[in-house]
Amino acid sequence: MFGVRAGFAGGIRLTPVARRATDGQVRQLPFAPLLRLPLRQHDGAAAVAAVRVGDEVLRGQLLARAEDERAVPLHAPATGRITRISAQPDPLLGTVGVIELAPLAGDTQEAIRGPAHDPDRHSAEALLEAIRQAGMVGLGGQASPTHLRLQRARARGVNALVINGIEGEPGLARVPALLDRHAADVLAGARCLARVLGVARGLLAVESPDEAVARVLLDAAGEGSMLSLHSLAPRYPQGAAELLLRTLSGRRLEGGITLVPDRSAVFSLATVAEIGRLLGDGLPMTDQLISLAGDGLREPGNYRVPLGTPVGFALAQAGLSAGPDRVLAGGPMRGQALGSLDRPIVKGATALTVVAGSNGGRLPQAGPCIRCGACVTVCPLNLHPAELGLLARKGEIAAMVNDWHLARCFECGCCDYVCPAHIPLAQWFRTAKGQWARAQAAAEVES
Amino acid sequence: MMAPDRPLRLVGAPHCHGGAAVPQLMLHSVMALLPVTLFAVAVFGLAALATIVVAMLACLLAERVCAPRSSLGDGTAMLTGLLLGLSLPPALPLWMVAVGGFVAVAVGKHLFGGLGGPAFHPVLVGRVFLQAAFPTAMAQAWVAPLAAGRATELPATSLALPFLAPALPYDGLSGATPLSALKAGEAGAPIADLWLGLVAGSVGETSALLLLLGGLYLAFRRVIDWRIPTALLGTVAVLSAVLHGLDGERYPAVASVLGSGGLMLGAWFFATDPGISPTTRRGAWVYGLLIGALVVVMRQFSGNAEGVVYALLLGSALTPHIDRWTRPRPLPEGVEP
Repeated sequence: MFGVRAGFAGGIRLTPVARRATDGQVRQLPFAPLLRLPLRQHDGAAAVAAVRVGDEVLRGQLLARAEDERAVPLHAPATGRITRISAQPDPLLGTVGVIELAPLAGDTQEAIRGPAHDPDRHSAEALLEAIRQAGMVGLGGQASPTHLRLQRARARGVNALVINGIEGEPGLARVPALLDRHAADVLAGARCLARVLGVARGLLAVESPDEAVARVLLDAAGEGSMLSLHSLAPRYPQGAAELLLRTLSGRRLEGGITLVPDRSAVFSLATVAEIGRLLGDGLPMTDQLISLAGDGLREPGNYRVPLGTPVGFALAQAGLSAGPDRVLAGGPMRGQALGSLDRPIVKGATALTVVAGSNGGRLPQAGPCIRCGACVTVCPLNLHPAELGLLARKGEIAAMVNDWHLARCFECGCCDYVCPAHIPLAQWFRTAKGQWARAQAAAEVES
Repeated sequence: MMAPDRPLRLVGAPHCHGGAAVPQLMLHSVMALLPVTLFAVAVFGLAALATIVVAMLACLLAERVCAPRSSLGDGTAMLTGLLLGLSLPPALPLWMVAVGGFVAVAVGKHLFGGLGGPAFHPVLVGRVFLQAAFPTAMAQAWVAPLAAGRATELPATSLALPFLAPALPYDGLSGATPLSALKAGEAGAPIADLWLGLVAGSVGETSALLLLLGGLYLAFRRVIDWRIPTALLGTVAVLSAVLHGLDGERYPAVASVLGSGGLMLGAWFFATDPGISPTTRRGAWVYGLLIGALVVVMRQFSGNAEGVVYALLLGSALTPHIDRWTRPRPLPEGVEP
């Protein structure tokens, strides 16, 4: 009770939802009439446009070069014509240059390919460069350029690859599709990453509803596979990389290796599968495997969506009912509500969740904190959301940051989920962090 | 492209909720107290019923007067009234009950900032006020269990007019609770009677068994933190066992200590009030342990027969400090995964 344990306390244990047969399927989305492609779709730096208005481009052709080390190139998701290049505001990305591409009718989706890469024949450096040139960013929710994370892990020195096959949020179903439809890609991607990182062993972590299909995947890999399977009881948000490593700390891998968090590199299952798929065929990243979910869709499921597709177009294909209450970029726990359905799908998008109007109505009003401590019990980082909430109400942001570790909060939303007074804690913490960042920036300018 | 019929709602994540709500928590507590309430009315008759009803009405009225916006619907005032009614002697003059209810809500709750604000349990504030203001009535207004005529008539003291009460004698009543008998060196009640509740005592504190069942219900519904009653009753049991072992004549047996007085009501329904108990799990253990130890010390070594109320008040006074001592340590930051 008083000791420091591996793993973490708290989180939310939801009744596991049985996987449906359709969860393993992936449907291909057709091309929208106009694709809008921001030049920076991820953490890091923007790419520089390599095409001009009026150019005809082929699917897979380079649209923007990565000149900054923190950038990745951007490729055409469809064969078509460049109609406009302009700076446009975006609620999530800030103002950014956008290339607009009108796909040609009847595009066969055949893409131009580069050379295929094989982890057994190519060097780690060559593979790393190929990953960058494919335009890879993390697909597990944090869209940071994959090559940068790989470089940092190499510099740090790691001995194990952790493939994070835990659904980022309740209600989404990308994992079974990746394990089932992209089994070979997952194995190829794992070998590729292992080669780049210089590790011999890895593990695949999934939650129990996906254990069976993951077992099939590993059995297909045959004897002597570098991967071992670790199934965890469902608990949100154990898929957050930091928490996952704490949970897995001390586990035994094949080859007598014990997992040590500081010596492990975590990559999401989606990232690993995409690396395997792209490098094996010499393709660049041109689309995203996205979970379209929520009670506002008639045909929820997994869709392969071309980059730049407007959110509204994608949702219409999945049977969007009229008058949704909210559309979320992401899942129900952490998804950001979108004000417009015109936003394009960008690299690293994981899910769109539509909350129908039926349960909309008035939101429950926040009451006073009754100090029940439910939020404290559930916080996976052992923060004190109740105390942070009281400080937020008083506007004492410095105390939140300096005394109560606000910066550690990653807004998983567990505290909100259990709060009987319906206090929007995560929203308050988000706002406070923004104010703190602005205050720090202002202080820096002055000094 | 489909245009939305109405603007999309821009609210912050998360977009789902586990369903817990304050009124619902209060309702569970009321339900957990229902068996003991019905039992009290059966055993003590009209006197108990009138005490509970008057206490609840007084609390609801005070809530209506004190709350800036109507909070009658959240159920907290109703629970406060019920708990107050259950913790008072059955034959207490009803006007005193009403005063107690008003003090509990107006002073104990709203003077401290309303829901979530009080440092002490509002009901205990009301009860301690009555104890201080009307010590004779509070010490003597007991009713013998299962008295004849209890279903049809109120004790004369119940209907006493304000400030004229001292003239009325309390001697038609049972005179002593098992705890006060013990304190006076007389024999206590049989243990079975204590647990079943067939003894004199406050309206709702006599049946330890029904209180235990209600408390367990709340613990299983996760309305209360089971650690608090566990630590509290565990400490009382262990310390009482030690004392009884040292001097079996002077100190009562464990089963007798656990079954008597306001201990069960206090451990399950007062100590666990979220507003006055620590927010952390470790804090809950410390808090329960402290109150348990205080209960034993006050019951066995002080001049008073009962010590639960003061133990609870002291315990909740320490809550902010316990919260500070047991502040959760954030998970250490690791390297970038």
